[in-house]
Amino acid sequence: MSPRRTSAGGLIDRTRTIRFTFDGESLTGHAGDTLASALLASGISLMGRSFKYHRPRGVFTAGIDEPNALVTLLREGVREPNIPATQIQIYDGLRAESQNRFPSLAWDIGAVNQLGGRLLGAGFYYKTFMGPVMGPLKGTRFWMMCEHFIRRAAGLGRADFEPDPSHYEQTNAFCDVLIVGGGIAGLMAAEAAAKAGKRVILAEQEPITGGFARWSGETIEGKPAHEWVSNLTARLASLDHVRLLTRTAVWGYYDGNTLAALERVNDHVARPPKGHPRQRHWTIRATDVVLATGALERPIVFPGNDRPGIMLAGAMRRYAEEFGVLPGSRTIFFTNNDSAYEAAANLRRAGGHVAAIVDVRAKISSAASELATAAGVSPLIGHAIVGSRGGKALSRVFVQAFDAASGTLSGDARQLECDSLAVSGGWQPVLHLASQAGAKPVWDGEKQAFLPPPPTQRWTGAGAFLGKFGTTDALASGRDAGLKCAGKRASRGQLPAIAPEALDLTPAPVLEIRARGRAFVDFQHDVTADDVRLAHREGFVSVEHLKRYTTLGMATDQGKTSNVPGLAIMATARGITIPEVGTTRFRPPYSPVAIGALAAERYGDLKPERYTPMHDWHVERGAEMTPAGLWNRPLIYAAAGETVEQAYIREAAAVRRSVGIVDVSTLGKIAVKGPDAATFLDRVYTNTFSTLKVGKARYGLMLREDGIAFDDGTTWRLGETNFLVTTTTANAGAVMQHLEYCLDILWPELKVHLTSVTDQWAGAAIAGPKARAVLEGCVTGTKVDNETLPFMGIVHGQIDRAPVMICRLSFSGELAYEVYSGAGHGTHVWETLMEAGEPFDITPYGMEALGALRIEKGHVTGAEIDGRTTARDLYLDWMLSKKKPFIGSGLMDRPALIDKNRLRLVGVISLDGQKLGGGAHLVERGSADEPGESIGHVTAFCYSPTLQNYIGLALVRGGKLRHGTRAYLSDPLRGRFGQVEIVSHHFFDPDGERMHG
Amino acid sequence: MLIDCPHCGSRDLAEFSYQGDATRARPDLASTDTKAWLDYVYNRPNPAGRHREFWQHAGGCRAHLVVERDTLTHEILTVAFARDAAGGDAA
Amino acid sequence: MVERASPLGSDFRPGFHGDFAEGTGVTILEAIKGSIVEANAWPGEEKTLTENLSAICRLKLSAAPGSGAANREGTCAFNIGPGRFLLSGQDEALAGDLIAAIDETTGTVTDLSHGRTVFAIEGSQVEWVLAKLFALDFSLSAFPVHTGRATAHHDLFVQIQRRGEKRFELYVFRSFARAFAKTLRRASEDVGYTIR
Ligand SMILES: [Zn+2]
Repeated sequence: MSPRRTSAGGLIDRTRTIRFTFDGESLTGHAGDTLASALLASGISLMGRSFKYHRPRGVFTAGIDEPNALVTLLREGVREPNIPATQIQIYDGLRAESQNRFPSLAWDIGAVNQLGGRLLGAGFYYKTFMGPVMGPLKGTRFWMMCEHFIRRAAGLGRADFEPDPSHYEQTNAFCDVLIVGGGIAGLMAAEAAAKAGKRVILAEQEPITGGFARWSGETIEGKPAHEWVSNLTARLASLDHVRLLTRTAVWGYYDGNTLAALERVNDHVARPPKGHPRQRHWTIRATDVVLATGALERPIVFPGNDRPGIMLAGAMRRYAEEFGVLPGSRTIFFTNNDSAYEAAANLRRAGGHVAAIVDVRAKISSAASELATAAGVSPLIGHAIVGSRGGKALSRVFVQAFDAASGTLSGDARQLECDSLAVSGGWQPVLHLASQAGAKPVWDGEKQAFLPPPPTQRWTGAGAFLGKFGTTDALASGRDAGLKCAGKRASRGQLPAIAPEALDLTPAPVLEIRARGRAFVDFQHDVTADDVRLAHREGFVSVEHLKRYTTLGMATDQGKTSNVPGLAIMATARGITIPEVGTTRFRPPYSPVAIGALAAERYGDLKPERYTPMHDWHVERGAEMTPAGLWNRPLIYAAAGETVEQAYIREAAAVRRSVGIVDVSTLGKIAVKGPDAATFLDRVYTNTFSTLKVGKARYGLMLREDGIAFDDGTTWRLGETNFLVTTTTANAGAVMQHLEYCLDILWPELKVHLTSVTDQWAGAAIAGPKARAVLEGCVTGTKVDNETLPFMGIVHGQIDRAPVMICRLSFSGELAYEVYSGAGHGTHVWETLMEAGEPFDITPYGMEALGALRIEKGHVTGAEIDGRTTARDLYLDWMLSKKKPFIGSGLMDRPALIDKNRLRLVGVISLDGQKLGGGAHLVERGSADEPGESIGHVTAFCYSPTLQNYIGLALVRGGKLRHGTRAYLSDPLRGRFGQVEIVSHHFFDPDGERMHG
Repeated sequence: MLIDCPHCGSRDLAEFSYQGDATRARPDLASTDTKAWLDYVYNRPNPAGRHREFWQHAGGCRAHLVVERDTLTHEILTVAFARDAAGGDAA
Repeated sequence: MVERASPLGSDFRPGFHGDFAEGTGVTILEAIKGSIVEANAWPGEEKTLTENLSAICRLKLSAAPGSGAANREGTCAFNIGPGRFLLSGQDEALAGDLIAAIDETTGTVTDLSHGRTVFAIEGSQVEWVLAKLFALDFSLSAFPVHTGRATAHHDLFVQIQRRGEKRFELYVFRSFARAFAKTLRRASEDVGYTIR
């Protein structure tokens, strides 16, 4: 049984019962209920504890502005905290928990925080963080002591450590008109724009369109308003060029009329259907935007205003009209404007009992008097509520005579019994998106509300957003906004008739009743009116300081109910007006957005991995794959029982002994073509390519404009005007972009075309004394002997019918070839090479062995070309042409770049037979605990099968000058300190006899 | 932010990559004027307001563009191909 | 000639996938191309290049940004940048023919037959699916049949040609093809999809 459900009425489906649990208790509601309405219907008014003082709190609103009733949802084994109960549509099996309480919502130990209210006042964190200026807890020590305790007690709901199993997706949309808000104004705008043939998207944050019309109790064209809007919605939904997005909150308004929206596609079911996302993030680019975001009700701040049972009057009205729920059995209304009278009349009609209407104004309109009569009470005008009583539920309030003009109380306080209180402090248009779009809201003293600023982007306002709160205004301004977006003039056509007539909702300028007791402004962050005044006394008077000092408006609800009252209190304290205090510019998001929805396909298994043509072969052969940027490359091909180290030592030794094969498809490859290609390469490389003969390759080095080394690689001249530039795997994209920049911006007169052909070619490097023999066994159409294919020569031929291009070059220092074939033939060619290599026990090798071989040879890679080293630092000065200028030549000779004491390339050999460590520092003296000053660092290391010892490359001060000296490797991270000898980086075959052989 | 690429039309910022200040004067490649090179490589006026910047439509037609932009409001005033706007070393 | 291997691997298998209870919204397949080339005109030679390409491939290709064309034999081409075009066709010899035929004074042609993988996606929900991956307006009026767009999905460069009212071809770098297939499939799950 639902103790607080009306016997009939509301838009819920009473034939469908839905079962859910709250804090483990089994409860029921109906289809159409939110968690908040279902809990209220079940007689539960205590829904959470506040953030700082752990005060008992009930639901305060019925919508997206909810500050109090935040719950944690448990779905698919994951906890999602801080969801407003007003935003959760219940479903069978829903499990929700209250927050900020221990051990239970009713008995909470943290509530003792209330006793320390003064201690935790405004600026608490700042003051504590600064600490006393002297004594044992001076400076930050006091903070460090407090932090431990505060961290445990504070914070909103607890986040989970489990990965989120949900799927999120992102999508893009383009339209002529985006309408934000599916109330009457938004629907009218959509209809007008759609009729003019415009592509329309309408986004409504609630599950059903209609907004206020769903709970106003009005009639439009003789029909209940909710029925009228459903009919209009159905007409719009049937149009091809209109997209209706419900459960979709537009949360950001960015440059170029680009808006961000979050569609909660499947949050209203236990589990999304197969293949469907939980939430979908929309990026919408609209030519025109209609902001029909409505208005939110403001509270009046008074002592004891946060007890469960106290809520906004409009929320009370919505619970009664839309959900058939009467939150209390004796309800008092407290207001500064006429809208509460309508709410009271609605509540009475729905079967509720209105015990009193307390109005701060000295006089009320005749329409309000009539509504009071309809509600069954005569209003207490010129009165205010000054306090409340009750534990976990409201039991009474105190009323005193009040003069709105002076803000003073008089006479004795009377007490009135009640179990619920509905408050209205007037209405504030929802201006967040307009403000995000680039302008500050404007205060209207007459209407006592912030109104939209003049548009800085292409948007048009409609409805309550404009500060016009009547339904007739919504119909008219909505239609006109739609017409305006369609390039048409405002219409004078007949509008649907509304009953009853609209009230004037202008409030009295009263937003706080000052009396004894704690009066809350920001419920979610427990900021009181006194905190605002404390901020004022301590000098934090500007709106931005106020916000940061008190945390007012900085909680998950972004101050939707607290901003205006907070400003009003500060204005009174300073003796100035609200616009003089100012308003902060709103920032996205308007409402919380799950990080998962922003990450969407970037989270989980959709990372953009790159695979070489031979990837599957490597995996089938048991290669352990390792990421190299986005690429996946074999690290080692482990034999049974081998460690990584054992595997690479075996692989590298096999290359030195006989022959090995490695996948080099990942190298960046750029086709450089055109009559000026050679001239171009001469300018971007330090060495000369115009002299390179067709059919030959040359190693090249590029510098940055500042003279620092950028990238290296070989460039092949395939034709007079046709070059193939190879880059390092890591820099492929950056080099392409650099070359494009040079052609577009520096030398647009050069006739050169660039095309990325990285993916066109599969590359296999064959290295070792038997490499030529392997090729001889499988290459047709060309000879591969030393004469036909000398060092740095290129030939074209076939390997088992597949066309190949072979270049003789060496990274390992062995006789070696790079065999390039079309990517689609890569595995075929690789397998043929493996077959041809079988007699020589050809060994596939991975990145580790590749690294070991190049360290032995002293070849540099990205570890040494690290964005700080120059060509000279790497002893590549022989590549710096003196005959021509090139990029970087202008600055490479600056004194600091040719200083003798720069870090320069050397080799290091372990003297204790222990491993070295990448990134470890080298010191001349000291101990493990107190190492001396660093003279450089190790860039790469390996076990050298040739030297039978651990060796490495290093950048050390003075470089060559230190050859033959000793130093210590200091690697505190890995707990290693040991002696090394500094030697030439050419460990192996320094004269290159093997690769030239 | 959207950039109106003269080739592709209006596209999302995510398709573009920033390629630096377009107001610098680059010395001739053969220049040995260190001061001019240092100015080109390191000095940036970083104005608050109108500014000329290079952007590449990297996730699109790959063309480099000169974008005139207000750094205070993010308003984009003009977009042109860098090839047409620049013109050689001394641009 | 040796048959070219597909980069897509074994999990790109034919069948119905995702939420296909009420039929599938799109069909995805690898569009096998014999030849793919990028043709690039020198400034001022765009018209000559498109005329030459049109003559060789029997297409009506114009030099306008984003324009494109296709013929009955399945040869198609579209503009991907200033003076730059992507052409593809069934004939494996086409790439070589074009490289030989375009004069050096007109522009250059680069063979990408192995370097790009082409996905065809078609069906009633094709615009819905593609909108998830690209910030482009896929409506027929904004993106007419035969026209092309160069765009990106995060790090992935993708060149797209509309081949029919409900059919698009997507050109991606071969090394990304397997990852992109996964992304395309994920985006199609809610409407259900067929792999052919
Ligand atoms: Zn572009």
